[in-house]
Amino acid sequence: MTIHDLRTRHGDASDGSADQVGGRLSRVDGPAKITGAAKYAVEQQLEGLAHAVLVESTVPAGKVRAIDTAAAEGAPGVLLVLTPDTIPPLKTASDWFGTPPPDVPYCPLARDIAFSGQHVAAVVAESFEQAVAAAALVKVSYDEAPAVADLSDPKAGDGIAIDMMTKEWGEAEAAFAAAPVRICAAYNTPREYQAPMEPHGLIAAWQGDRLTVWEPSQWLDGMARTYAEWFAIPFENVRLVSPYIGGGFGSKALALSHGAVAASAAKMLGRPVRLVMSRPQTFTGYGGRAATRQTVTLGADRDGKIQSIVHRGVNETSMGGMWVEPLGSVTSVMYATPNFSSKQNVVRVNSVVPGAMRAPGENPSAFGIESAIDELAYEVGIDPLEIRLRNYAEQDPHARKAWSTRQLREAFVAGAEAFGWARRSPAPRSMRDGNQLIGWGVAAGTYPVRRAYGEALVRILADGTVEVESSSIDMGQGTYTILAQTAAETLGVPADNVVVKLGDSRFARAGVTGGSRLAGIMTGAVHKAAGAALDHLVGLAISDPRSPFHALQANTLVVAGGRVSSPRGDGPEVSIAELLASVGADQIEAKGDTMPANSTAEDRYKAYTTIATPLTHTDGDYSRHSWCAHFIEVRVDEDFGTVRVSRVVSALDSGRLYNPKLAESQWKGGIIMGIGQALLEEGIVDRRHGRIVNNNLADYLVPTNADIPDIQTISVGIPDPHSSALGGKGVGELAIVGVAPAIANAVFHATGKRVRDLPITLEKLI
Amino acid sequence: MTSPTTIPIHLTINGHDHSLEVEPRVTLLDALRDRLDLTGTKKGCDQGQCGACTVHVDGERVLACLTLAAQVEGRSITTIEGLAEADGTLHAVQAAFLEQDAFQCGYCTPGQIMSAVACIREGHAGSDDEIREYMAGNLCRCGAYPHIVAAVRQAALEVQS
Ligand code: FES
Ligand code: FES
Repeated sequence: MTIHDLRTRHGDASDGSADQVGGRLSRVDGPAKITGAAKYAVEQQLEGLAHAVLVESTVPAGKVRAIDTAAAEGAPGVLLVLTPDTIPPLKTASDWFGTPPPDVPYCPLARDIAFSGQHVAAVVAESFEQAVAAAALVKVSYDEAPAVADLSDPKAGDGIAIDMMTKEWGEAEAAFAAAPVRICAAYNTPREYQAPMEPHGLIAAWQGDRLTVWEPSQWLDGMARTYAEWFAIPFENVRLVSPYIGGGFGSKALALSHGAVAASAAKMLGRPVRLVMSRPQTFTGYGGRAATRQTVTLGADRDGKIQSIVHRGVNETSMGGMWVEPLGSVTSVMYATPNFSSKQNVVRVNSVVPGAMRAPGENPSAFGIESAIDELAYEVGIDPLEIRLRNYAEQDPHARKAWSTRQLREAFVAGAEAFGWARRSPAPRSMRDGNQLIGWGVAAGTYPVRRAYGEALVRILADGTVEVESSSIDMGQGTYTILAQTAAETLGVPADNVVVKLGDSRFARAGVTGGSRLAGIMTGAVHKAAGAALDHLVGLAISDPRSPFHALQANTLVVAGGRVSSPRGDGPEVSIAELLASVGADQIEAKGDTMPANSTAEDRYKAYTTIATPLTHTDGDYSRHSWCAHFIEVRVDEDFGTVRVSRVVSALDSGRLYNPKLAESQWKGGIIMGIGQALLEEGIVDRRHGRIVNNNLADYLVPTNADIPDIQTISVGIPDPHSSALGGKGVGELAIVGVAPAIANAVFHATGKRVRDLPITLEKLI
Repeated sequence: MTSPTTIPIHLTINGHDHSLEVEPRVTLLDALRDRLDLTGTKKGCDQGQCGACTVHVDGERVLACLTLAAQVEGRSITTIEGLAEADGTLHAVQAAFLEQDAFQCGYCTPGQIMSAVACIREGHAGSDDEIREYMAGNLCRCGAYPHIVAAVRQAALEVQS
């Protein structure tokens, strides 16, 4: 029963105060971050802390023949040198679907080498400096074997067909053959790296058979499960703590071998151990975005109407692991087509297993289809914006369901207007400013609404302040802030009076923070928990004989600004603290979750520690996605081929925004990462040694402040009740999708050169 | 822990004196973070490529990961923890970062703020393009750059007036 009034809000200025959902409240964790008070996971100061440093393989394939640890063991301060022979075997943990693992031992240090940079040994010492110095003394010899360096290695082959990625309808090949206009091109994206500014690492500490891990984490409960399974201890015995996360972008969701090494060392030494990867190690200690290859074939009428899309994709994976980057994801939903075929292979190479990086799948997928439709526009002589509208998908062409909401047309209109698209001169090389060729490009993006489950606990304390607890996390998306707003609005208290506690696996549980799902799930859970707490509070006020409202015989009360009164204003008005004191309650606590009713403990464990039970974005009657349109201007130096992005206008449909100030920041962050992808970012493989040679931040180029112009974002979303409890859709991943093709399309408009191979570097233009 | 390989050093940080016994190879960054519990200064790369470790030495911006602790003996060091006034009043740059939402994860932020304070003091905040150029040594993977420019612009006006 809900006995209080829930108002509908839209995520715009009409919602009023910054304290409420939709308001532009500044980050509540901001003061800690701008004063240096925010302690990130590995910054805990623990008594007796020892320091571990990893030693990595220097060959891409083969076997470790021997490891000579004598010099390292004799070095000053060294406590322990771990090798595959000396680290105690662990149990193999289940994967992220929770698939029961094989009953074989797991060794986090490798004897069999499958990529350069694999962890083969570790040194633990009293100080970080001693551990670094001693790690350099470990001598590893190998029996080297031939390696497959990357996708273009002649030994790579065609790979393995992933049948579950196949999507087909109509007669795609025949329709293409019969189409009057035909486009066929190959689009490539290189290895890319998340490169969060905070490197991966952890502190592990044991007390008996209880393990505490301070580790930056996008998924406390999932990682706690893995640690528990490795060390064969109950899930409850592992505590993951991750109060602030210095960026993740998909890379901090799983417990990885370095974590197993640190936790093993801590157990062996009976001391807390800190292990932080060096920046170069972060390029091979976990996977970035897989390199991809796509062929996009479009058959169309002379008026630009698409008749057929045939799409083939390939991504790299590792020798032992499986990563599928879904390359047909945008291809199959963006445009209406009567005939469609998409298939995908993966190819094994000697690399660390690739992983999730901001919009895995959708991002490279959009580079293919959004470049190809631009090529079609020039082929048939239609404006690139107009051709997108002509092929607008009025429903999900693959699922054949209505969109929950799709404000993409509105995004095209609003973006074009703000950008001044109507003033574009259509021919390539027709706009210039001195020796700079100017190009204007457009592309669309989309990301599915991923939904799952979460819990939150809301506690109203005796002094009238409120605590919210959840094991979900804030890596910069604004979780602390939007959950404070949600609790404040639901309870009718100022956001200042709400303290949100996140990042501790002891709190109410939550699933993975990935796929832009957290905000929708957790605002729903907090809304529910806060609603239950409010029901409880109002119920007490009405029914408890000691309450000042008891005599009123009201059936509801109003709570606003932290004060309780009757709806007609005819009774007393007291603060929440006074009300609680009057009825002798020292606190009110309520838990809320988004799980189906009657869920068992086992269901909950599975929902929060695996990804096996999400709701698909096409469940039920609707297909749910967020949408965007990017309009980008580039300036290309005609002599040198250098490309600068000079203007960006993006219009985005993320549904209702819980906090527009923070959502705009996340959108811009995605756009900026997209500019990096388009112009700068590329993991370069040394084919002789199968090594990433630019494994540092000076050689793997991420955008700097000087690379980024002013960026205008426009929200065109409307509340989407089918996507989340409060009407929001995904924010974090959406905005990167479509940026790279918008830039490639702008570069074509500027220069007449079509670059289908990211990044767009100067040698491809001159 | 004293050992034959350590040396005594005295550092003045945020107006306070600290005595340490460290190996000569200990960087200012690790001295701050691991020995003095001043973890506001961040380690992003440990090789001078990201700017997360930016502090001020005698008022000038310096990368703490490329500076040995022993090198700055007797010099005045300011870190992010020492920027606000003793009563907690934020520096104009800190306040502007909060207002403009010039950060997300916050990991690059102490370095950005220390750089921004120096950038304004150096007289390099005269235009948006100048701010972009003189703040280009501080990477932000969250992509807060346009808001950092807005914050530096705003703080520069306040500091100058
Ligand atoms: S940590 Fe010093 S520049 Fe990156
Ligand atoms: S705020 Fe995350 S790296 Fe700058």
